[in-house]
Amino acid sequence: MAVSSELYEAILTGDARTAHAATQAAIDSGIGPMELITGSMVPAMNEVGRLYEAEEYFVPELLLAGRAMKSAMELLRPLIAAAGLKLSNRIIIGTVKGDLHDIGKNIVASMLEGSGFEVIDLGADVPPEKFVAAVQEREPHVVCMSSLLTVTMPVMRTTIQALESAGVRHKVKVLIGGAPVTQQYADEIGADGYGDNASLAVSAVKKLCAVA
Amino acid sequence: MRLKAIICQVLTREFEHAIARSPHSIELEALPMGLHDYGAAMLPRIQQQIDASDALGFDAIVLGYALCGRGTDGLTAGATSLVLPRAHDCIGILMGGRRIHEQYFESHPGVYYRSPGWIEFQKSGQSLEPAWAVARNSMGERRSREELIRQYGEENGAFLYEQFTAYRRAYSGLTYISTGVSSDADCREQARAEAGANHWMFEDVPGSLRMIENLVNGEWPPDDFLVLAPGSSIRATLDERVVAAT
Repeated sequence: MAVSSELYEAILTGDARTAHAATQAAIDSGIGPMELITGSMVPAMNEVGRLYEAEEYFVPELLLAGRAMKSAMELLRPLIAAAGLKLSNRIIIGTVKGDLHDIGKNIVASMLEGSGFEVIDLGADVPPEKFVAAVQEREPHVVCMSSLLTVTMPVMRTTIQALESAGVRHKVKVLIGGAPVTQQYADEIGADGYGDNASLAVSAVKKLCAVA
Repeated sequence: MRLKAIICQVLTREFEHAIARSPHSIELEALPMGLHDYGAAMLPRIQQQIDASDALGFDAIVLGYALCGRGTDGLTAGATSLVLPRAHDCIGILMGGRRIHEQYFESHPGVYYRSPGWIEFQKSGQSLEPAWAVARNSMGERRSREELIRQYGEENGAFLYEQFTAYRRAYSGLTYISTGVSSDADCREQARAEAGANHWMFEDVPGSLRMIENLVNGEWPPDDFLVLAPGSSIRATLDERVVAAT
């Protein structure tokens, strides 16, 4: 049973307003932010992922669940910061240089957040040096890169090489994804993981961080 | 040589121009443009035509395609050799080579492309864009605002539409590739008008028939073309070569 079944349901049905209200109500009743994340949001995002895998949910449902989850996080984030609490592992995410297509990246980012990760979204069209700087400054556990066009896929390799040149490659795990990307390509360019879709990307990040 | 050319309709004018000047006998077959929009259906559609031509005694089958969002990744040659230009999509072919396209793309990541074929064969209501990965349609981003609102309600539908179309706001230009075929002038003006109507920057860049001429002239330098021996398949490498045989 979820800590807040209302929040759990609101995320599953993609109802951002109810998610916001349910979170506020839970906070008012004295439930802590971490308890809400682990007790309602993570199970809800797990269920969303399961429904997607079962082809009961599709991309729109993922986007809506992510949005509902974000509206809850808006209320929880200041509480987490104020209490000096720490979220689970930190993830940096972005589409590679030249690729302006970020729907998939946005879905993965919001699903990761809903799964309790601290997500730093660098946005779209992110040059290798920006990934490197973010790794140096923010010390994430995982760097996620995506690409929609085959013409931008080689930039994933370039970005991994830039991480190597900067001497930080060994400090992070690298996960890649995007419609034309394959496991074989991930192996070829030396990425640590690959997500065939948003839900599997979240599972892969969990695996890389050794989070159950 | 007797060649079979299986091409995307978008390249029809350019192929006809080059075939008229080729020393070889070439049978041309154009398939509807935009197959890359039909996801996984693209590969079997082209493979079917390859297989149908295989027993007809051609010296080679040349393809007027590129990697096309992986839509040709896995095509297999039967008893006849198969030739594929090394390019990501038709833009690279029309610009005269993948490196010219890649160089242009680096400074122009957010532009739509048009060419004589893109203008001539565009159906009304069809939004033409370069080849994305073949999985794109599963995302649902081609659906109208009204459709999304009908299914998901006013607020969520509007949000989804916003999400699905956000990338378009990062597209700021329309680039017309002039290939010198007889319909070029008309098509260029239509492209310019389309750019104006959408408040996009318009740029006219010179194309080149080099790749297409080489293809139909039987000149297939390995740097520009993948020549598949009978029985082998196309594999996307996504490196400098774009594709390789497997």
